[in-house]
Amino acid sequence: MYIGVDVGGTYTDAVLLEQNQIRASAKVPSRKNLLSSIIEALDTVLQGVDTSRLNRIVFSTTMITNLIAERKYAPVALLLIPGPGLSHTYYQFNTMTRILTGTIDYRGRETVSLKEQEIEAAMAEVAAQGFKKVGVIGKFSPRNTSHERRLELLIKENHPDWEVELGHLVGGQLNFPRRVVTTYLTAATREAFHHFLNLVRQALAQRQITAEVLILKADGGTLPMENSEKMPVETIFSGPAASTLGALALTSPGETAVVADIGGTTTDLALILSGQPLLSAKGARIEGQLTQVHTLAVKSVPVGGDSLLERVGNEIIVHGKRMGPAYCMGGPVPTPTDALRVLGLTTLGDQARASEAMAILGEQGGSCIVANRIVSLVVESISSQINQMFQEWEQEPAYRVWEIMQKKKVRPSTVVGVGGGANGLVGRIAEELGCRSLIPPYAAIANAIGAAVAKTTLQLSLRADTEQGSYVLQEEGFEGKIESNQFNEKIALDIVKERLIQMAARYGLDVKPEQLEVTRLEVFNMVRDWHTNGRLIDITVQTPRGITGRIEAGGQ
Amino acid sequence: MRGIRCKQTGLIFFPAFDWAISPTHPEREERLLYTRDQIFEEGIIDLPQIAEFTPSLASIHDIARVHFCIPRVETQTTEAHLIAAGAAMMLADQIVAGHIDNGFALVRPPGHHAMRVVHGNRGFCNINNEAVMVEHLRSRHGVKRVAIIDTDVHHGDGTQDIFWHDPDVLFISFHQDGRTLFPGTGFTYELGGPGAYARTINIPLSPGTTDESLLYITDNLILPILEEFQPDFIVNSAGQDNHYTDPLGSMRISAQGYARLTEKLRPDLAVLEGGYAIETALPYVNMAIILALAGLDYSYVREPDYWPDRFKETSQRTEQVKRLVDELLKHWKNRYATQAGRVKIVNGYYEREKIIFYDTDYIEEHQVEKLRICNNCTGYLSIESEANQGYGQARKVLCLSVPFGACSKCRNEAADLYTGAKKSVKYNQIYLQDKSSDFLLGYDTKAGKEWRR
Repeated sequence: MYIGVDVGGTYTDAVLLEQNQIRASAKVPSRKNLLSSIIEALDTVLQGVDTSRLNRIVFSTTMITNLIAERKYAPVALLLIPGPGLSHTYYQFNTMTRILTGTIDYRGRETVSLKEQEIEAAMAEVAAQGFKKVGVIGKFSPRNTSHERRLELLIKENHPDWEVELGHLVGGQLNFPRRVVTTYLTAATREAFHHFLNLVRQALAQRQITAEVLILKADGGTLPMENSEKMPVETIFSGPAASTLGALALTSPGETAVVADIGGTTTDLALILSGQPLLSAKGARIEGQLTQVHTLAVKSVPVGGDSLLERVGNEIIVHGKRMGPAYCMGGPVPTPTDALRVLGLTTLGDQARASEAMAILGEQGGSCIVANRIVSLVVESISSQINQMFQEWEQEPAYRVWEIMQKKKVRPSTVVGVGGGANGLVGRIAEELGCRSLIPPYAAIANAIGAAVAKTTLQLSLRADTEQGSYVLQEEGFEGKIESNQFNEKIALDIVKERLIQMAARYGLDVKPEQLEVTRLEVFNMVRDWHTNGRLIDITVQTPRGITGRIEAGGQ
Repeated sequence: MRGIRCKQTGLIFFPAFDWAISPTHPEREERLLYTRDQIFEEGIIDLPQIAEFTPSLASIHDIARVHFCIPRVETQTTEAHLIAAGAAMMLADQIVAGHIDNGFALVRPPGHHAMRVVHGNRGFCNINNEAVMVEHLRSRHGVKRVAIIDTDVHHGDGTQDIFWHDPDVLFISFHQDGRTLFPGTGFTYELGGPGAYARTINIPLSPGTTDESLLYITDNLILPILEEFQPDFIVNSAGQDNHYTDPLGSMRISAQGYARLTEKLRPDLAVLEGGYAIETALPYVNMAIILALAGLDYSYVREPDYWPDRFKETSQRTEQVKRLVDELLKHWKNRYATQAGRVKIVNGYYEREKIIFYDTDYIEEHQVEKLRICNNCTGYLSIESEANQGYGQARKVLCLSVPFGACSKCRNEAADLYTGAKKSVKYNQIYLQDKSSDFLLGYDTKAGKEWRR
């Protein structure tokens, strides 16, 4: 038996699955005392269930997202080693930032060494300002970790109480500014995330649950709770990942679909291409800051069932804010939900009040006309965003001839609606896009279902430079020597696969070599003076992505 | 296309990681690898001043509008060529439409040695990306006057050949002196055809020239000429082999020098040409050019072995450069002066002979080029070309090119020549390229087959 729990800003949802069937579900308001909400949700789904029969329990949360939005996190100082390139004046990260001398180039060669005196002076300044958390980030540090590690050592010697985050461990992709932001957010949110995990531990202890506990990540994979402590920012945006996986579990396999999670004030859109959720190519944007956090390609449109509607001249405007529930449900202002009620597209609330809401917005007597205009407005704005998402996906840069020759136009065949506002709108959106619409049963708790069915995913990247005789395993920060001159991509692939299987075993995951997916494989011959001097090999391997199973009818 | 800067710099990065002339050739997969690493690591594609685009392919028609590919466009191009040319076209479209301020097509394979007639690969080039883009702009967007500034260390002889007779396209190339480097041309006396005199300007520089001289030439020769020419669109053929570490060239230009040059030229579109110091120059020079185009601070871009004032110009060279600039300015000032005595016109036609060598493919081509001197347009061009490839048989073709805005007399005469030649056995293929109506024909005499592009 699996449990999925989604701790959101408004509700905490939970679901109990047994052999791909829903046994029980819960929807509890998220209260200030989060522990009580979690326990209530657990108690609801566990009624009459022997907890020793639970295999695993997966949590997803928007906790970290909210913390960052509200800027409620511990202060972090940044020590950067950018070297030459983009002007340092562009490195404005809104916190104490010191630039240190030192350069690593694109092949991981040190071209300028660190200056220890300068480092000591910077540490003294950080100490004087009272910081206890420090992010250390170097340009090209994933190619050569020595500068970052040297700094960590010096800091630990002088200030054993400081917490140090290293760029290469949280941001292994090539993008220095994103690595800085990702490291900064990791340092900033670690404590709060730790606090959240403690709540989870307490809740589970109180109910004597000893099943395996996992945390959902933004890319739709999961991590065992203990390991997730290292990567708090990976949980950002796990909310949309949860509902997307939920939609995946509730629909038939292999479909190309849009998942529209229509909530009170926002609609989250995600794409499923031939049964696989689409990942963002570069990383999540968090409160306007670009990071290297792996995430599903999710777009948030500021339109939902409770959006404030206003008449300005002859126009009706949809605002990005919520003043309360819909007018037909006793709220203060007209909303799209009222329009849906007038048109009979939803049965929520009071019909007479809904008509009244339309009257506030338009001429008398024509409440149907006004309601139609509103629904069209909302449908158009969401549909155009969906089209744009597909276009953006098509426009993703490609750097090889075959990639460009392969590019094709893909459009969804299904719009899957989940979330509270889905009922009235999804049909119309599908019509606008020329697809069929689907609101699966249990759509309202798709997020908790998504958490429950998420698979553990791990990836490992290897970069070898045979001319320099070394390789780096990026996610582990491990540097190895190449002893043999026979080193080639096959040997590299064997190393990275073996290490990933070992890593997976530490995460309690049993994977076979043949199940691993190679997501990137680049081999470049380095030719100098017409001779091949060496090879650059870049490989990324991951454990299979996806869901543990599809939900079958029945249960509850 | 000038205006107040408020828009983005468009970037197409197409390193063609799966295309090479041969495994160890300078034009191989690895060429832009370190440039990619640098650009990605710097995160400049995320900057609000930069917009990245995905290239689309140039069509066969787009290529045939510029080149006479022997025997067919398909035999001279690979998909990589169509993507590189398509990338330049796409950015140009975006610029003309006003969606972006300027652009950089950071693409390979390069193109500036590809001439009007293409029998094979010369100087690593088959298709002239800039020329394909420029003729697209003139054909589809009505752009009239274009300036192409070639800053590659090698003379841009292909681009020069294509626009030799065109008074509306100004071609300026500085490069290492042709007596010391491929392709061995680009001397000050190469000034353009009789109807486009001094709309071709060549600035040969002696090996070892530094940033200082380059910027002197830019300020005192290139910019004043641009100011007077008033182009609607400025293209930079941005070769990076003037760099002091380039293995093929022997100049001493730095990344900072390239950035300052770009900032001064303010091209609408830069298109990558050569540059083969793939580790020591390209990552830095490309960064510097992108930042300069986007109006961003480039002062922190520096090669590991560079320091300011590392290269000092000798007073001798400074004097030499001044004399060169004065000489060329004189030609430019006299560009509308009478043609009398300059060229020989026989019966209303100007004729010249050329021998062209294709270094990569080892082909020797012999051309007889005939321009109709016309009072109503720039005159149509006929090229009789014969090439011998290896031990194979000689191939002889006739190429007729009718310019934009051609008069009906020139158009008809070219069309008649084409029709007449179809009956002759003298040529293997005959081509008619009418840019004024965007009508492109080819005919194979042996097969008796005609095709339209």
